[in-house]
Amino acid sequence: MPVPEIFVTFYEVFMQTYKGFLKAGLLTIEITAIAVVIGTVLGVIFALMKISNSKILQTIANLYITLIRGTPLIVQIMFLYFGITSIIVLENFWAGAIALGIHNGAYIAEIFRGSIQGIDRGQREASLALGMNSSQTMRRIVFPQALRRAIPPLGNQFIITLKDSSLVYVIGVSELFGLANRVAASNFKQFETFLVVGLYYLILVLIFTALLKWYENKLDVDK
Amino acid sequence: MGKLKLMLVMLIASVLMLAACGKDDDEKSTGSAGDGDAGYDLVKKGKFTYAASGVYKPFSFEENGELTGFDIEIGKALAEKMDLEPNPVTNPFETILQGLVGKKFDAIIGSMAYTKERAKQADFTEPYYYSGGMVFVAKDNDEIKNPDDLKGKKIGVVAQSTYEPPAKELTDDVQYYTSDVVALKDLTVKGRLDGVITSDVVGFEAIDNGFEVKEVGKPMWVEQASIAVHKDNPELTNALDEALKAIIDDGTYKEISDKWFGRDLLDIDLEGVELLE
Repeated sequence: MPVPEIFVTFYEVFMQTYKGFLKAGLLTIEITAIAVVIGTVLGVIFALMKISNSKILQTIANLYITLIRGTPLIVQIMFLYFGITSIIVLENFWAGAIALGIHNGAYIAEIFRGSIQGIDRGQREASLALGMNSSQTMRRIVFPQALRRAIPPLGNQFIITLKDSSLVYVIGVSELFGLANRVAASNFKQFETFLVVGLYYLILVLIFTALLKWYENKLDVDK
Repeated sequence: MGKLKLMLVMLIASVLMLAACGKDDDEKSTGSAGDGDAGYDLVKKGKFTYAASGVYKPFSFEENGELTGFDIEIGKALAEKMDLEPNPVTNPFETILQGLVGKKFDAIIGSMAYTKERAKQADFTEPYYYSGGMVFVAKDNDEIKNPDDLKGKKIGVVAQSTYEPPAKELTDDVQYYTSDVVALKDLTVKGRLDGVITSDVVGFEAIDNGFEVKEVGKPMWVEQASIAVHKDNPELTNALDEALKAIIDDGTYKEISDKWFGRDLLDIDLEGVELLE
């Protein structure tokens, strides 16, 4: 096939689909944003549980991380949407966003645990010596420093989340990838359609990376 | 730390706002029959929510960001007859029955053929169209001249479709797809597939769109595409049967069928034809 023709059909597909893809892109952003918030909250909670002195809390956190990291995201999405309908009936948007959030929580917990444990012991000892209690030490001294160190891996994890959100198409959510499948089935142009949707993901990731960089500079992560 | 907190609060607030404006039309009325839904137990109050794969042109597909096609328009006509607002949704075909059983939507109007096996999981209305199961091969394939020539070859079908069992009978080498269109496309890639079993209508649509494929022989059987409804909801099945009869009688059905296919899909001679069950 001559190359110029591909550019023409690519442009055609792009122009015919951008309205739908902008809407679908918004859905992708929404799912990612909800998943990131849920994942971060769960991540902080389980990280603190894992480094706590309580054996029970440690066991719960380990169980959660093992189960979630040990099973594929697509299985978790199907489980939440179809598997537990006798307990709770979730709409596909929420089943997808929550599954993605719970999935991320496990990885984010490990990121936080690593960055908290990576803070020099001397910091904690000094803070305790100054008369702060254990919780004050965590809140005022250890956690703020750990957060700065956690930002780069967290950003990485959020980008993975954005791309993993494409998996919720299996439960019928019309986000970018789901729409791309349907568009390709209707215009019979797989190559151009997936090129277009790839471009949308790339743009979203680039925007996200820029935001992250700006935030890292603000926090002076390098220093 | 103050700035960080502010940022976090702003992030959460904006996320919630995004979520809120995107989803505010999703109030649900789970259960409670009879609150303005004429006695049907609907997933969404006042709305007839029906599912199709959305990747099955010309029955259900995306055009200009909207779901359209024969199945979608039949659903709209039926909803109007029942005084409900049509609400078409999509779900991949291989899990569409699971979705119905899990009450994610009220009905499947997704070119699903009635079979005895499926009737164990859901109730079916009268057929709303007939279509044939047909073998398609690559245009330059001279080897396969009738369906039996596919014995032991690599056959592509959509998982959980009525085309899966005959494919399995012919060969152990079945390749599964989520879309018939993608399966047909794979025929044109050398060395991937020997044949695809799908609906005659869908195969001809692909050929009209420039796919380098051709049909083999005559339809192997005729199947009855019907609307599937949850077994807990016989009132809706009855109402759909009545509405279907009404749109056939008043000519709406023929109008829609003519628009998409240039003929009435229900108007075929069933004498001596094998009906798939």
